[in-house]
Amino acid sequence: MTSDPAIRTTGLTKHYGHVEALIDLNLEVGPGEVFGFLGPNGAGKTTTIRTILDEIRPTAGTASILGMDTGKHSVEIRRHIGYVPGDLAMYPNLTGKDTLTYFANLRGGVDWEYVAELAERLDADLSKKVGDLSSGNRQKVGLIQAFMNRPEVLIMDEPSSGLDPLMQREFQAMMREVSAEGRTVFLSSHTLSEVQRVADRVGIIRSGRLIALETVADLRAKGMRRIEFQFAEPVDASVFESVPGVRDVDVLRRRVMLSYDGKIDVLLTTVAGRYDVIDITTHEADLEEIFLTYYRDEEEAV
Amino acid sequence: MMLANVTTKTILDRWKGMAIAAGGLALMLWFAMAAYRGIDTDFFTRMPEAWRALMNIPEDADFAVLAYAAMYSSWGTLTVASLALSMGSASIAGEERNGTIGLLLANPRSRMAVVLSKTAAMVLVVLAGILALWGSAHLVPALMGVETGGLHLGALMVHMFVASVFFGALALAIGGWTGNRGLASGATAGIMVISFIANGILPLVEGWDRVVKIFPWYYYDGGDPLNRGVDWGHLAVLLAGIVVLVAAAVVGVRRRDLRDRGVAVTMLDRLRANPRTQKIMEKIAGGARVSRVAAKAISDHQTLMIVVGYVMVFMAAFIGPFYLLIDEVIIDLAEQFPEAIMAMVGNADMATIEGWYQTEIFSLTVPVAFMAVTIVMGAKALAGEEADRTMGLLLGNPISRRRVVLEKAAAMTAVIAVVGMLTFLGTMLGSLIGSLGMSVANVAATTLLGTMLALVFGALALAIGAAAGRVKVAAYAASGLALATYIINAYFPLSDTLAPGARWTPFYYYLTSDPLNHGMHWGHLLVLTGLTVVLIAAAVALFDRSDLRQSG
Repeated sequence: MTSDPAIRTTGLTKHYGHVEALIDLNLEVGPGEVFGFLGPNGAGKTTTIRTILDEIRPTAGTASILGMDTGKHSVEIRRHIGYVPGDLAMYPNLTGKDTLTYFANLRGGVDWEYVAELAERLDADLSKKVGDLSSGNRQKVGLIQAFMNRPEVLIMDEPSSGLDPLMQREFQAMMREVSAEGRTVFLSSHTLSEVQRVADRVGIIRSGRLIALETVADLRAKGMRRIEFQFAEPVDASVFESVPGVRDVDVLRRRVMLSYDGKIDVLLTTVAGRYDVIDITTHEADLEEIFLTYYRDEEEAV
Repeated sequence: MMLANVTTKTILDRWKGMAIAAGGLALMLWFAMAAYRGIDTDFFTRMPEAWRALMNIPEDADFAVLAYAAMYSSWGTLTVASLALSMGSASIAGEERNGTIGLLLANPRSRMAVVLSKTAAMVLVVLAGILALWGSAHLVPALMGVETGGLHLGALMVHMFVASVFFGALALAIGGWTGNRGLASGATAGIMVISFIANGILPLVEGWDRVVKIFPWYYYDGGDPLNRGVDWGHLAVLLAGIVVLVAAAVVGVRRRDLRDRGVAVTMLDRLRANPRTQKIMEKIAGGARVSRVAAKAISDHQTLMIVVGYVMVFMAAFIGPFYLLIDEVIIDLAEQFPEAIMAMVGNADMATIEGWYQTEIFSLTVPVAFMAVTIVMGAKALAGEEADRTMGLLLGNPISRRRVVLEKAAAMTAVIAVVGMLTFLGTMLGSLIGSLGMSVANVAATTLLGTMLALVFGALALAIGAAAGRVKVAAYAASGLALATYIINAYFPLSDTLAPGARWTPFYYYLTSDPLNHGMHWGHLLVLTGLTVVLIAAAVALFDRSDLRQSG
C-alpha cells in the first residue's frame, strides 16, 4: 500500500445541473506530503473534497485514497482518514467530550490520552456544549476529532477558520508533525500565509479548473520579487512597463512599486540610466502576490 | 411603524405552505362530497330530530353539507391554525434560534416594529388561505351540483380566520416571552388540540357542559357559525384575546435579553452538573447517548417521546372512566344511527366501551399522535442532519450510509414502540379504573396496528427525506399523504362505487378489521409491516445514491 499515492484524482468532474463545479481534475498527493489546495471562494475546493469523500458523486472521472476507489471502498477509506468539513457544524446539544465520544464509538475506540494531549495543545474546553462555544472554540473540537485517530490522511477544508493567531501556529505545528510521521495532509485554504508556512506543494484552483500545481519552493524560485524604488524626481510608468518581466506597476509621484521576475541587473540598468535613484527595497513575493498574479494572468487570457 | 419589507419577506417565506394547505383542503372537500353523494340518503329523513340538532344539519340542506362540517370546520381550521401558530412561533423565537435576530435588529428598527410586522404577515397569510378556502367552498359544490342550502359559509370563514389568528398570536406571545420556538409551537398546538377535543366531548357529559367555555375552540365552533351565522359575542372574545396576546408578545420581546444561537439548558444538564448526580447522569446523558447512531437519535427525540407518551397515557386512562359519565340519551341515540353514519366513525358502536374507545382514542388521536412522532423522526433522520450540515462529519467516520439509515429507522421504531406501549398501558389503566373489562389481547393488537400504521408513514418520511434532503418536503409530503389516505379510507366506503378505493390506503389495514372487538388481524399486520420494510429499503437505496446537501 505504501507505493500508492495518498490521494489521486483522474479526470474528476462534477456538474450540478448546468453548473460545472469541477472540471477534469488530475491530482496526485504523495504520502507524507502537506498539500495546500488554494483558491478563492466558490472555486471548487469544497466540491473536490466532498467528491473524494464520497459525500457527492462525480459526474465523470475517479478518485482514490491510499489506492482505494472512493466510491467502492468509501467505508474502508474512512477508517484511515480524518476530516474537517468546511463551515464546520456539529451537534449543538452535545458537549465537546460527547461529540468526540460519539465519533470515537463509530470508529471503534480512540486513544483518550492523545485526545487530552490535543485538547491541551489547542486549549480546547471539552466540557461545554458545542452550541455554546464560539466558532473558534468549536473549530478546535472539529480539529481534535480529525486528528484523534492518528489518520494516515488528513483532509481539511479551511480548517483554521476562527482560530486566533496563536492557535493557528500551534495547529500548523501539528500538521508538520503529522507530515514528519509520514502521514499526509490535504489542506484547502485561502489563508495563503498558512499554506506557505506548512505546505510542500500547492495546487491552485479557479472556476473548477486546476490552473497551477507547483512546489512552494519552485514558486518562490520563480524569483518573483516585489521591488520599491524611491526617485529624486517624478517618473513615468511606461519606462518600467517596457522592461520584460515587470508587472503591477504602481507609480506614486516619486515612488514606484512593481513585481519583477527577471534578472535584477536588467531592470537596474534601465532605471538607473534614466532617473536618479535614491533608495531601493526588495523582498521576495509571498504566495499572496504570486496567487494574485496567477489570477490576473488567467483573467487576461479569458 | 410596520416594516413593509419584513412583512413581505415573511409572506414570501410562508405563502407556499398555505397555498398547498388550501389546495389540499379543497381537494379533500371534493373527495368528501363525492363520497357523501354516493350515500343512499333515504335514511336522512328518518333521523331523529335530536340527532340532526347534534350534527348541525339544517332541514333544507343537501346531505352533502356534512362534508363541510368534517372538512372545513374541523380539519380546515386545525390546518390553517397550525400554519398560523407555526408562523407565530417562528416570528421572534425562530429568528433567535437561527441566530438571525441580531442581524435583523441591527437595522434601525424597534423590536416592537419587528413583532408587529411579523404579526401582520401572519394575519395576511392566514387571510389569503381563508379566502382561497372560501372560494373553493363555493366552487366545489357548484361543480358537483350540490345544494348548499341555508349554510352560512361566510360566517364559518370569518370564525375560522379569527380563530386561526388567535392561535398564531398565542404562539407569538409564548415565543415572545420565552424565545423558545419549540415551546411556543408545542404548547400552542397542545392547547389547540386539547380545546378541540374538549369542545367535542364535554358538551356530551352532563354537568361538564359549561367547562367547555374555558377552551378557545368553543368561541370558534360553539355558536355553530355554519348554520347560525356569525356569533359576534364569541368573535369579540377571540379578538380581545388576540389584542392581549400580541400586546403581551411585544412586551415580552422588549423586556428580555434576546437569545443567542446557544442551546437550552435541560434538566439532564442540571443533573449532570450537580456533583451528587453527576456520576450516574454522565453515564445516561453522556456515554449512553453517544454510544451509537441509533442511541443518539433516540436521545435527540426524548422530549417528543416523553410528551406524546405522557399525553397518550393520560388521555387513554382518562377517557375510559368518562364513558360511565356519558348521558344515557347519547348512547340511546347512537344506537339509532344508520349504518352509513356508523361507517364514518369506523363502525364504532358508541354503546359499547370498545366503540367508545375507538371513537375517542383509536380512530383519530392514536394515528395523529403516533404519526407526529414517526413523521418528525423520519423526516429529520437524514434530511435533518443534512440541513444541519452534520451529515458530512458523521459520514467522515467509517460507517456506511446504509447503516446510518438503518440505525435511524431503528431509533424511530424504538421510540414509537415506547409510545405504543404507553398507550396500551394507559388504555388498560382506564379499563381497570372504570372496571370496563377491555380485552388485553385486543387492546394490544389495536395499539400494535396503530404503531405499525405510524411506522409506515414514518418510513415514508424517511424515504422522501433521503431523496429530497429537505426536512420540510419530507414532513409535509408524508403528513399530506397521511391526511389524504385517512380521508379516503373514512369516506370512500360510504359510496358503493368508491368503496374499493379504501383498500389502497394504509389506514384500511388499521381499524377496518375492528381489532378492538375481534383481536389481531394478522394479514393486515403483515401488510403494514411489509410496507414499512419496503419503504425503509427504498430509503436505503435512495440515500445511497444521492449527493449530500451542503447546507440548509
